[in-house]
Amino acid sequence: MSPITTRREFIKASLAAAAAATMGFPRAAAAQPADPEAGWRWDKGVCRFCGVGCGLLVATKGGRVRAVKGDPDCDVNRGLLCVKGYANARIHYAEDRLTRPLLRMKSGQFDKSGDFVPVSWEQAFDEMERQFKRVHAELGPTGIGIMGSGQYTIQEGYSAVKLVKAGWRSNNIDPNARHCMASAVAAFFQVFGIDEPSGCYDDIELTNTVVLWGANMAEMHPMLWARITDKRLADDSYRVINLTTFGNRSSDIADTEIIMKPNSDLAIWNYIAREVVERGAVDEEFVERHCVFATGPYDIGFGMRGTDQFAYEAEHDTQRRQREVRLTREEAIGQRRDPDIEHVVKQKSAASAGKHWRISFDDFKRALAPYTLDFVAPLAKGDPDESLDEFKNKLRRLAGHYVERERKVVSFWTMGFNQHVRGTWVNEQAYMVHLLTGKQAKPGMGAFSLTGQPSACGTAREVGTFAHRLPADMLVANPKHRQRSEEIWKLPAGTLNPKVGSHITKMMRDLEDGSLKWLWVQVTNPFQSTANANHWIHAAREKDNFIVVSDVYPTLSCKVADLILPAALHFEKWGAYGNSERRTQVWRQQVSPPGEARSDIWQMMEFSKRFTLREVWGRQPIPGLQAAGFAQGALPDVLAEAQRLGYSPDDTLYDVLFATAANRKVAWPDPVAEGHENATVRHADIDWFPEKALFQEYVQFGRGHAHDLADFDAYYAKDVRGLRWPVLNGRETRWRFNAEHDAYVAKHAPGADFAFYGPALKSIPDGGLERVTNTRASALANKAKIFFRPYAAPAESPDANFDLWLATGRVLEHWHSGSMTRRVPELHASMPTARLFMHPQDAEKRGLADNELAWIESRRGKIQARVATDGRNRMPRGMVFLPWFDESVFINKVTLDATCPISKEIDFKKCAIKVYKAQV
Amino acid sequence: MNRGIAILVGMVAFLALGMTAFIVTGNQPEATSDREVGLSKSSIFDVPTPAAFQPDESEPGEESVLARPFAIAPPLVPHGVADFLPITRDANACIECHQVAEKLEGEPTPIPASHYEDLRNAPGKTRSSPVGSRYNCSACHVSLTDASPLVGIDWPQAN
Repeated sequence: MSPITTRREFIKASLAAAAAATMGFPRAAAAQPADPEAGWRWDKGVCRFCGVGCGLLVATKGGRVRAVKGDPDCDVNRGLLCVKGYANARIHYAEDRLTRPLLRMKSGQFDKSGDFVPVSWEQAFDEMERQFKRVHAELGPTGIGIMGSGQYTIQEGYSAVKLVKAGWRSNNIDPNARHCMASAVAAFFQVFGIDEPSGCYDDIELTNTVVLWGANMAEMHPMLWARITDKRLADDSYRVINLTTFGNRSSDIADTEIIMKPNSDLAIWNYIAREVVERGAVDEEFVERHCVFATGPYDIGFGMRGTDQFAYEAEHDTQRRQREVRLTREEAIGQRRDPDIEHVVKQKSAASAGKHWRISFDDFKRALAPYTLDFVAPLAKGDPDESLDEFKNKLRRLAGHYVERERKVVSFWTMGFNQHVRGTWVNEQAYMVHLLTGKQAKPGMGAFSLTGQPSACGTAREVGTFAHRLPADMLVANPKHRQRSEEIWKLPAGTLNPKVGSHITKMMRDLEDGSLKWLWVQVTNPFQSTANANHWIHAAREKDNFIVVSDVYPTLSCKVADLILPAALHFEKWGAYGNSERRTQVWRQQVSPPGEARSDIWQMMEFSKRFTLREVWGRQPIPGLQAAGFAQGALPDVLAEAQRLGYSPDDTLYDVLFATAANRKVAWPDPVAEGHENATVRHADIDWFPEKALFQEYVQFGRGHAHDLADFDAYYAKDVRGLRWPVLNGRETRWRFNAEHDAYVAKHAPGADFAFYGPALKSIPDGGLERVTNTRASALANKAKIFFRPYAAPAESPDANFDLWLATGRVLEHWHSGSMTRRVPELHASMPTARLFMHPQDAEKRGLADNELAWIESRRGKIQARVATDGRNRMPRGMVFLPWFDESVFINKVTLDATCPISKEIDFKKCAIKVYKAQV
Repeated sequence: MNRGIAILVGMVAFLALGMTAFIVTGNQPEATSDREVGLSKSSIFDVPTPAAFQPDESEPGEESVLARPFAIAPPLVPHGVADFLPITRDANACIECHQVAEKLEGEPTPIPASHYEDLRNAPGKTRSSPVGSRYNCSACHVSLTDASPLVGIDWPQAN
């Protein structure tokens, strides 16, 4: 039932909620059913939430999900689930599920200033189409876009990327995963030439040292943390170190907690690398055979807009740093400059931040030279109440773990590194130390990027639902990649757009400057999750644009939308996810979606019927397009070539992209269903199996390119609990680039023990530390790059007015923006609101006591929250933490939209704010 | 429905539920303002004042056990936990109290048999103490505040 389906139902729901308030949470009933599991049908599934990818068993009865439990046969979690994982059953059933399309209307017509009125799917698509075609006629393919998700199923992401890139010839598709692991991706490409980790979760049991760098695994990856805890308790030689900007639950199990200042991780890594070199701990043979050294420009800005045309008055000083930076003393030292004179540096490389070149080992050593313990420790110490000596001892011991030849080390990180104005750099620095010491791509050893979302890897990254990507690590800017994609997709040559589209934050900026006017949001809540939100919510509501949001519950983004489409939730559809260790896992549809809710695949297929080739495959303007083989500023008309391929200009995108001859041969019903239904099939009234057909089409991209997935049916086999790609001859790969485990090594470098065979960015010029000196590129086949990257100050730091650091993040009990978990009674009751964690002295100084109301204000906006001075997080003085799950504590009105200039991922972990008491 | 009555009902609903744009007319479909959409009944441009919630501060044994969300879900903690957290390598107050053999009236709920079997390293064997992977009790078992649900859930308690 929608909250707004009928007035009567709305009142009933409200009264029920009000009644519950007086009752409290129910106490146990006296009598439990004798056999609660009677008649339950069990099937395997995957958790809806984080990037760990726990295997579930899901029970259904009478067309409803009844229960879930951890799958004892799944190696990821061996029968365990966290409190949020157990909510996978109940998330389907909150009473305000969206069950009908809702359109803003006045007097029976769409009106941007109207209220939401239930409409039929036909009416919804009519308006959506009219608005699309209006904007498309005005702005062409760059005027429209989709914001997607790391929670898309593989097939949903694949459908979206195909519709946008092949159908609409736009590259404006980008996922919330941009905010989550884009920095990890950029570093994988730059270091290894191919995305995703070399290791796997088995490393947890095989290593004897775990270092967390900006990853509070105890709350954010709880079932991996269970594995680490298990090892640590059983083995007294196992070591766990937690580097973080504030004390948290991971510190409770760790041997050492290291509280560091925001951005100082850049300096700490260089100190460790310097120690490795100084103490003779370089694995010379490994480095000599498998690595080269590299660096890039330092003057790369902060991913903010070059213009301050749209900036609020108070934003101008931070905004200026996009163009010009006065180096801090520490930055000057870290860049080998004289710290006693002023350095004002124009940020000339902001548009070419990813450029890099090869350097010598001697230059690399020279670059590390300033990063002594005496330099780094005062710069990095994050707790003003800790002594410098104690902090130095901790750093010394940390370096010792990496230096010690016999010690195995796994370095884990998540958002502390990725959401970082130098996120790509700091990811690369982790590989720097692991490659130098030869502790990479070996069992129990490796720098291991954990991902945040359940299919950030499997969908967003592997399928390539990004503005610059195509499936299987291919890039729109690469003519060979476009050609290969056009072949698989059976498109006329020249259909695909070579110009990189807008990343998700840029799409928000495009809404504000009017260059994007039609937006479809799928499986995400970007108006809550994107930093500096005041700009974007005003742009969405007040500018000429049309915003469609597909979701399962009414979210903050739905409040912003012009059209809301009701979507199917997790077990109401068929799907597949890929987790942090390259493991692809699948589930069957368990129950039907409620009311008129439809799967996202159905939505895309149905909407694609509204476009003929004639409308989208003619000549299309692309402002700024300059690519070999293309006329300047436009995509060619490919209709004639399409006719040669057997298409008619009157064919729809549905015919050409989805219901292809090959796909229609993948019949429904299918034995793999074992009696489970497929609502996409039923609602579309078709006799083929879209989720299987699309998966089988998609796997063609990766096979033979080290991204090999197994066939659709293989993942549904009774004894399979996901498979880690590349899957070759039915066998998964646990450690990539390692000849003992990865068959691709022999293919690329016969006889070698290791080969970092990723093909991207393997031809770079030579240079010194400052610049390229020899533009002739040298080829680096099978080599990984060890980057030198200097310390850099954040985009914004506390000053006399905005005197505190703010970090945001998740909590154990809620998933992302809380749209599902805040509707689960036990999760809401345990974590009902986002509170501002701060040091008791910082609170006291402001006249604030625990649970009192505070204003939190930055240059960009202000909100209220209640203060927490104790509990699970222990803040150092000067630093506060506020989770972002709570839409009524809208912290992204306060945060800064500066990004890593290479990855375009927002830094949610540091900006400057002030906190003061709110008068109640 | 008579149009006048419908409007009256609409106004009553407006007053009773604090809604600001609830339009009811005889023939038109009902319209809902964006303020009423979602969990926070306010405009996206407003700054709401978050309510204060009280954590459960009861002593263990003081209150009866809480209903599980469903039969095989982990039990919710029916008492305050502030004094028992954090769980560290050296101190786990939860296990200290709950590692008992059987449920006695007014005594802690025993850690169940499942928690003594190490499904990863030694399936089928029973250990004398709970397995290490289940050591972080607070990852699965949570204590509650006095917050009421934001929205009802269609979930029969006898599920």
